Amino acid sequence: MERSLFLSGNEAIAHGAARAGVGLVCGYPGTPSTEIVETAAGLEGLRAQWSVNEKVALETAVGASLAGVRSLVTMKHVGLNVAADPFMTLSLTGVNAGLVVVSADDPGMHSSQNEQDNRHYARFAKVPMLEPSDSQEAYDFVAEAFALSEEFDTPVLLRTTTRLSHGRGLVVPRVPVRAPRREYERDISKYVMVPQYARQRNRLVLERLERLRRRAEESPLNVLEAGSADFGIIASGVAYAYAREAFPRAWFLKLGMSHPLPYAKVVRLYEHVQRVAVVEELDPFLEEQVRALGLPVVGKAAIPADGELDPDVVFRALAPYLQRKPPRRRRPVLPPAPKLSSPPQPPAGLPVRPPVLCPGCSHRSVYAALRRHRLTPMGDIGCYTLGALPPLLALDSCLCMGASVGMMAGFNAVLGRKAAVAVIGDSTFFHSGVTPLIDAHYNGVEGLVVVLDNRTTAMTGHQGHPGTGVRPDGSVGNAVDIQRLCEGIGVRCATVSADDYAALDAALAREVAAPGLGVLVATAPCVLASRRRAGAVVVDTERCNLCGRCLDLGCPALVPGDGAVAVTEACTGCGLCVEVCRRGALRLPEPVPADGGGQP
Amino acid sequence: MNGATTVSLVGVGGQGILLGAAVLAATAAAAGLEVKASEVKGMAQRGGSVLSTVRFGEHVWSPLSRSADVVIATELLEGVRALDMLARGGTLVCAATTRIPPGSVLRGEEAYPDDLEERAAAQRVRLIALDAEGLARQAGSVRSVNIVLLGAASHVLPFSDEQWQAGLAAAVPARVLEVNQRAFALGRDAVQEVGS
Repeated sequence: MERSLFLSGNEAIAHGAARAGVGLVCGYPGTPSTEIVETAAGLEGLRAQWSVNEKVALETAVGASLAGVRSLVTMKHVGLNVAADPFMTLSLTGVNAGLVVVSADDPGMHSSQNEQDNRHYARFAKVPMLEPSDSQEAYDFVAEAFALSEEFDTPVLLRTTTRLSHGRGLVVPRVPVRAPRREYERDISKYVMVPQYARQRNRLVLERLERLRRRAEESPLNVLEAGSADFGIIASGVAYAYAREAFPRAWFLKLGMSHPLPYAKVVRLYEHVQRVAVVEELDPFLEEQVRALGLPVVGKAAIPADGELDPDVVFRALAPYLQRKPPRRRRPVLPPAPKLSSPPQPPAGLPVRPPVLCPGCSHRSVYAALRRHRLTPMGDIGCYTLGALPPLLALDSCLCMGASVGMMAGFNAVLGRKAAVAVIGDSTFFHSGVTPLIDAHYNGVEGLVVVLDNRTTAMTGHQGHPGTGVRPDGSVGNAVDIQRLCEGIGVRCATVSADDYAALDAALAREVAAPGLGVLVATAPCVLASRRRAGAVVVDTERCNLCGRCLDLGCPALVPGDGAVAVTEACTGCGLCVEVCRRGALRLPEPVPADGGGQP
Repeated sequence: MNGATTVSLVGVGGQGILLGAAVLAATAAAAGLEVKASEVKGMAQRGGSVLSTVRFGEHVWSPLSRSADVVIATELLEGVRALDMLARGGTLVCAATTRIPPGSVLRGEEAYPDDLEERAAAQRVRLIALDAEGLARQAGSVRSVNIVLLGAASHVLPFSDEQWQAGLAAAVPARVLEVNQRAFALGRDAVQEVGS
């Protein structure tokens, strides 16, 4: 047997990650989480990197997970606030290879600006949570968390606290877990969270939570430990260790998997003892759930709701209750699984009408050029997300604002090549695309970011943004130039007109082939905002053979007609279909005379 | 339901559903009624189906109702789709000549419905179908289909002409008010002429 190691909880998590076959460990430094990435950096077989912030760290880990590599992302409690946007929706998409988020909380605020209890995030996002209570468990639970993540297709929250992260204990190393890389399979309805797909995924999340609860009932991580006193304690994490020390004769329900709560196991504890206490630091997270079962329990009425606990605090808090008469027993009521909505059924036989990219939309040319390359396009949030729908099917992912760039970076980092590109709108780029670009540059990741620069925040109704300088009152303030911004970071950047398909196609091919990291800004004003119209494209019905190349652009103005495509009056004359037609069957309209002749 | 009247406006993003709802709400307000409205914006407006609901009465609690007393449809398919939300005996006011086929129809994967009247009859719904697009052109702008339909719907809504005019003036931008006033009158008169 291998010699045991004397490890802090954080070191144990890093070693546990290496043992679990993790390929990427990333995070932003924050006490008490920092040493996980630092320790991982010294271990064989995995890539450890600092991220620019916790949101980007999580998005990078998601990219690695999609690429089929297990990834672990670390942060302090408040860091999860920064990463909350991808975290909440990652619950819906689930993972490919396992993904574990370590949140290191800081009761007592030794080194923090607040004392938030991140166990609420597990409930909030409806994901499972594991809470180790010593270094050995910190080591062991990492592999457990990855197994859960992959079995239930969910991110897993591994929650520690300062005394677990920075406490030390003996760790017996275990046999390494085999975690072969999982193939990435494009699955738009799983990874592109536009409303119609997110609604489906959300129902799966609610069902998954009930399956996870059944797992928590059976899991050996949740142990009913017999005692000799008429006193039971429900605890998780390091609070369990304090309580165990304070009340050696008590019964214990030790929760290693503390969310979702195994109701039946809680009830079973009450079959053995008349008095039950919940020992937990910070909020009455477990206590309120036990109370909701209709069971009498001592919790925050006795145990401080702020600061750290220790065995002495726990003993002093609970000892008086052991002298009192036991509370009257009541029958517990187990909450039923929640009902799911029954959305109105659309009348049968009627065609659906999903939103589409407008005729003449400048994003369409980028998608047409992009699909000539065998790349995984990570998408983002805006009108251009509609490109993920048929027939374009142009995007593989949409997680949250700005996620495309970090996901691309994580995907490419673990594969070691430019396998993914990021597609992001101009307003979204300013929202949260810049920090992951800085991150990818810093971490030396291969990649290409295509900025769909239509000079507005289109989807929400054409608001201004820092790239245009337009303010809500219509005045124009300072504008930020995307190319100069990227060059200031140190990233190669080119700008091309999205209206000039040949130039766009060439620039994209050049950037795809170029080594390292690059940005391509494809710019053309939003057709809806600018109301640009050049008249309708003309079809040569003799030459058209209905091959479908133009129809695959998904332009609402192109219709399969009788023997040839037909152009409807919605056509703006953008000319993209003319560019993709190989038979010369389409041509641009004659230019409208400058003295008018168009609609007033 | 407790005396509130529900009118749903349905159509395709870009057809002026929201303006139609604003005119109706302003009209109800001019009649001294309480009004609540709700609309779905954002992604839905990019060529997708759009729904806006206006509820008015002596007292209105909910801004939403699954069932409508009157549906105003600026597009034929959306009108057919909305039949299901009409209460029995309700009225569908539909732009019968405005057909905007969605992508699946254009690609030949699904068929555009051509049985509005049969479906309305089966649903026991009163149908007011008119060439709103033609009337809108006659009024001066094809974009005023929404207001033509409000004119047609005025026969089944409890507002005086004065109140409608006040609603139009309050909600429609001044530069297109005249066109829309004509559109409203044409829609109203079209229904009287067919004797509905």
